[in-house]
Amino acid sequence: MHDFTEAFKFIGRDGQIPGAPPLPTLVHLTLETLKIAGIGVALALLIALPVGIWLGHIHRGSFVAINLGNIWRALPSLAVLAIGVAFLGLGLDNVELALIVLAIPPIITNAYVAVDEVDRDVVDAARGMGMSGWEILRKVELPLGIPLIFAGIRTAALFVVSTTTIAALTGYSGSLGDIINNEASYHLPGVIGAAICIAALALLLEFGLALVQRALTPRGLKLTEDPGVTFAPVAATDVA
Amino acid sequence: MTVLLAAAHAPVIPNFGNPSSFACERANRLFCSDWVSHNWSTVLWPALRQHLVLTLIAVSLGFVISTTLALIAYRRRWFERPVLIVTSILYTIPSLALFELLAPSLGLNRTTAEVALVSYTLLIMFRNTLTGLREVPDEVRDAAAGMGMGPLQSLLRVELPLALPAITAGVRIATVTVISLATVAALIDNEGLGVPILTAISNEVFKTELIVAGGMAVGLALAADGLLVLVQRWLTPWARARSA
Amino acid sequence: MRLLRPALLAALLAIAVAACGSSSKTTSSSGAGKPAVVIGDKNFTEEYILGDLYQQALAAKGFKVTLKPNIGSSEITYKALTSGQIDMYPEYTGVILSVIAGITTPPHSAAEAYSLAKAYVAKHGLTLTAPTPFYDSDALGTLKTFATKNHLTTISDLKKLGHSLIVGGAPEFATRQEGLLGLKQVYGLNPTFKPLSIGLTYKALDSGQVQLSDVFTTDPPLTTGKYTILTDPKFVFGFQNVAPIVKQSVLAAEGPAFQQTLDAVSALLTIPAIQKMNAAVALDQQSPAAVAHAFLVANHLA
Repeated sequence: MHDFTEAFKFIGRDGQIPGAPPLPTLVHLTLETLKIAGIGVALALLIALPVGIWLGHIHRGSFVAINLGNIWRALPSLAVLAIGVAFLGLGLDNVELALIVLAIPPIITNAYVAVDEVDRDVVDAARGMGMSGWEILRKVELPLGIPLIFAGIRTAALFVVSTTTIAALTGYSGSLGDIINNEASYHLPGVIGAAICIAALALLLEFGLALVQRALTPRGLKLTEDPGVTFAPVAATDVA
Repeated sequence: MTVLLAAAHAPVIPNFGNPSSFACERANRLFCSDWVSHNWSTVLWPALRQHLVLTLIAVSLGFVISTTLALIAYRRRWFERPVLIVTSILYTIPSLALFELLAPSLGLNRTTAEVALVSYTLLIMFRNTLTGLREVPDEVRDAAAGMGMGPLQSLLRVELPLALPAITAGVRIATVTVISLATVAALIDNEGLGVPILTAISNEVFKTELIVAGGMAVGLALAADGLLVLVQRWLTPWARARSA
Repeated sequence: MRLLRPALLAALLAIAVAACGSSSKTTSSSGAGKPAVVIGDKNFTEEYILGDLYQQALAAKGFKVTLKPNIGSSEITYKALTSGQIDMYPEYTGVILSVIAGITTPPHSAAEAYSLAKAYVAKHGLTLTAPTPFYDSDALGTLKTFATKNHLTTISDLKKLGHSLIVGGAPEFATRQEGLLGLKQVYGLNPTFKPLSIGLTYKALDSGQVQLSDVFTTDPPLTTGKYTILTDPKFVFGFQNVAPIVKQSVLAAEGPAFQQTLDAVSALLTIPAIQKMNAAVALDQQSPAAVAHAFLVANHLA
């Protein structure tokens, strides 16, 4: 328990050790973690979102989209990072590549399912009103698909933040995981403090993204929304 | 006790194997089959075996706990929300952080690893089991009651079987998740496929070990996923017709 | 007739015991009946080898020893020792002084380091058995070409290169007295520090990412001739002979043969021996257990 109180003091000191030369501050490492994770998610979004939405719109490629989601969960992130290191060496590029690989599947799967499963009646009605395919996508399928699409993004974002901290184990420095990897310098309270920060970061991110999702959800949908979806990451292929 | 700081006699330093037989390792090529066959029984197989044990224990315990919680929540609706909140928080906390938070109190051993791994299984299995039970159509429940079944009988003979697809899906996802996270558990109790992965990185990034151990972890997860899909289909032949 | 079954049972038991007894390679039984011991080791190659050496040598003498490898850094492993999770582990005398005891004034000889360390751990119910001849101190390594070009033989020579130096090393190098702190305080140097994981310290020298690397005196790459170490005339990096830290109660309970075995192993560990074993594990990727076994067999300790 003493270690836990020391851990909070460590956080209060912004990650500095008294009597030691200045170390990267907790604020800095947190921002770095978010930056690295952010780049990974952003690039994954660029690739995966259009593909998933388009496939869902034309109702093709379900096999790939669904199975990608299943395979995603099977990829041990440490193993993916490690294999990347073997082929590409250490460095930001390699870490980002692994993060992108890990972030794409939940985004694609959820985007696909979200758009694909929009009520056919609604789509037909829209077509009957004279909307073009593009307009249907923009005005009907996307708004109705937002909850599930965003759930996929949330899942990916959280997973990427988590994996970014693990990257420190593979030798890449520049995230909160560094502290955990360097117990010799930071001592146990420091490691616990970093763990608390990582946990808090993840929970805040999850909560924040949940709020954004609620803000983006069309009002009509909010009334019928399943409350279980709004907190905690969920992928479209969770239930059977 | 005299302080010996000079050797009383020079030690015999054996030739640790013919240097030429380690050419592949020294060059650190991507795959050295010799190394794999020499170290299979001492490094790779024990790691795989430990990984399987860690996974089985975590999923079994998680299954028991989450099913119990789901059954309670099925009968008492108010129970669902608190369980969801707690299990969601546990699920959201990154694995590295959770392991490090538990280790000081529980020690650097398998128990700590298992507590963390079990925590990650709870949300998925709880939610899936509960959803599966809830999705049993009311007419079916009424029919079971009409046939004279009590709540326990109805549960065991009607509702749970119908919820099986969702339950097994939950077990499948939890299993694969645990296999992935158990690689990080190596940090805490030095067991599982994470051990050769982390050793390989610290040891001049020995590619063969990294790729083989990493590949085994990926392969194990995919195999488990595939196997459980088959189990799921076998347990619920009626579901196949529905999803066609 | 009535005695047939008990007799048969006794015979079977006798055969079983004989079979079990003869299946193990060792016939020594100094450890018979002694309580089980857990040896730990820290999180790098040399420690794995040491852990295996002591564990196998003790097992060969009949002691019930389990190895709990790769526990963590010095601090974590020492904590595992004091909290009872392990009964002993191999530690470096200088590390005991600077990291565990927090003593910053450097000792003047290896013997002094050992006796100070032993005195410190005695306060916690622990003791050190005999130290090894080899010492594994940190050292500043550099490419031989770099050293020749700049006429560098000792660390003091680095002063003339000014402040443009980059030193790479494990993250803890930055906060240790036998590291950056010592270089600053004792040699008056102020290089930039680049954290590297332990396996990359030589690669970073090769690629020019750093001019100097925090290496260890028993590193295998030092035997190739491509690198050299700068001498440390002010002993900032201290003395780092290895001695097993053992609980005093365990030593007493295990009997004199226990310590004799440990000391016999320690006496054999010279720098060349450890370097060759490190090379076999780090470069040839052999397992520490196999390498330790080969060494012990060659020296008739297993």
